[in-house]
Amino acid sequence: MFCDEVLETIELIAAGELTASAPLAEHLASCHGCGAALAAARRVDALLRSRVAPAPPANFSARVMNRLRLARWRGEQVLDWGFNIALVTAGVVVVLGLWMAMRQSGLVIVSSDAVQMFESGMTLLARRISPSLPLYSAATVVLGTALAIWWWAERDAAL
Amino acid sequence: MEPVNERELVERCRRGDEGAFQELVDGYKDLVFALIARTIQDRSRAEDLAQDVFLRIHRGLPYFRGEARLSTWIYRIVANVCVQERGQQANAGATLSLDDTRAPVRTPAAADRQFSDLELRDRLEKAIAQLPAQQRLLVAAHYLQGVRYEDLAEALRMPLGTVKTHLFRAKQQLRRLLEP
Repeated sequence: MFCDEVLETIELIAAGELTASAPLAEHLASCHGCGAALAAARRVDALLRSRVAPAPPANFSARVMNRLRLARWRGEQVLDWGFNIALVTAGVVVVLGLWMAMRQSGLVIVSSDAVQMFESGMTLLARRISPSLPLYSAATVVLGTALAIWWWAERDAAL
Repeated sequence: MEPVNERELVERCRRGDEGAFQELVDGYKDLVFALIARTIQDRSRAEDLAQDVFLRIHRGLPYFRGEARLSTWIYRIVANVCVQERGQQANAGATLSLDDTRAPVRTPAAADRQFSDLELRDRLEKAIAQLPAQQRLLVAAHYLQGVRYEDLAEALRMPLGTVKTHLFRAKQQLRRLLEP
C-alpha cells in the first residue's frame, strides 16, 4: 500500500468514520510518516471537538427584541408619513381641480369676488386679534411641545 | 427542537405572537452566536451579525414554506450572513495571518490548565482564521453538537459528498498549519 493512498483516508480514520482495514492498519503501524500524520489528524480532531462554544451575552434576546420593536416602529412611522403626504397631495389636487373647473366654467369671477371678501374678512380679523398675538403664539408653542411629547411617548411605548 | 413544535412555533410567530418569537430567539441564540463567533472571530461584530440573523428570520418567516426544517433554514441564513461579512471584510482590505495579534474568540475552559495546551488552542484558532469562510463555517458547524453532515448539506445546498470533502480539506489544512 502506498503512502499517498493511505494519506487520503487519514482524515476519515481520525474522525472515526472509517475503520482501517488490515493492510491499512499494517501500513500505519510501520510507516513513520503516515503514522505521524494520523496522530496529528487525531489531535486536530480532538482539539476541534473540545472547543468551547462561545456563548452570547446575557441580554442578547432582549437586544434582539428591542431592535425588532425599533424596526417595526420605524416602519409604522414611514407609513404614517406616507399617508399624511398622500392626504395633503390629494387635498391640493382637489383644490387645484376645483379652481380649474371654476375657471373654465367662468365661475372664477364669482370666486375671485368671494376670495376678495374672504381676504378682507381675514384682514379685519387679523387687526382685531393682533393685540393678543403674543398670547396666541405662546399657545401655539405649548401645543407644539405637547404634540412633540406625545410623539416621543408613543415612540417609547412602541419600543 | 421537534419538527411538530417547530411548525407550531413558526405559526405562532407568523400570527404576530412576540412571545413566540422570543422563544425562537432563546432556542437558537446559542447555536447562531457560536456559529458566527467561530466564523467571524470578532466578538463585537459577531453579536451584531447574530442579531441581524434573527431580524432576517423575523422578516422571512411569512415566506418560510416549511419544506426544510427551521434549523436548516436558520443555518442557511447564518451562512449567507457570514459570506456577506467576509466579502465586506475582503473589500475593506482585512487580512489575517498566523501572527495576527488580535485575540481569538474563546472562552476559557477547565481543560486549559497548561501553557502548552493553551498555546496549541491559540494556534488552532489562528489557523482556523486562515481558512476560507465556507470551510471555517463548516468546521464551526460540524463540531457543534447536533449539526450533522446532512443538515449542513441541506442548509448550504451542497451535495453531501462535497460537504465532507470541504471539511476534510479544512482539517488537512489545519493539520499542516499546526505542524511545528
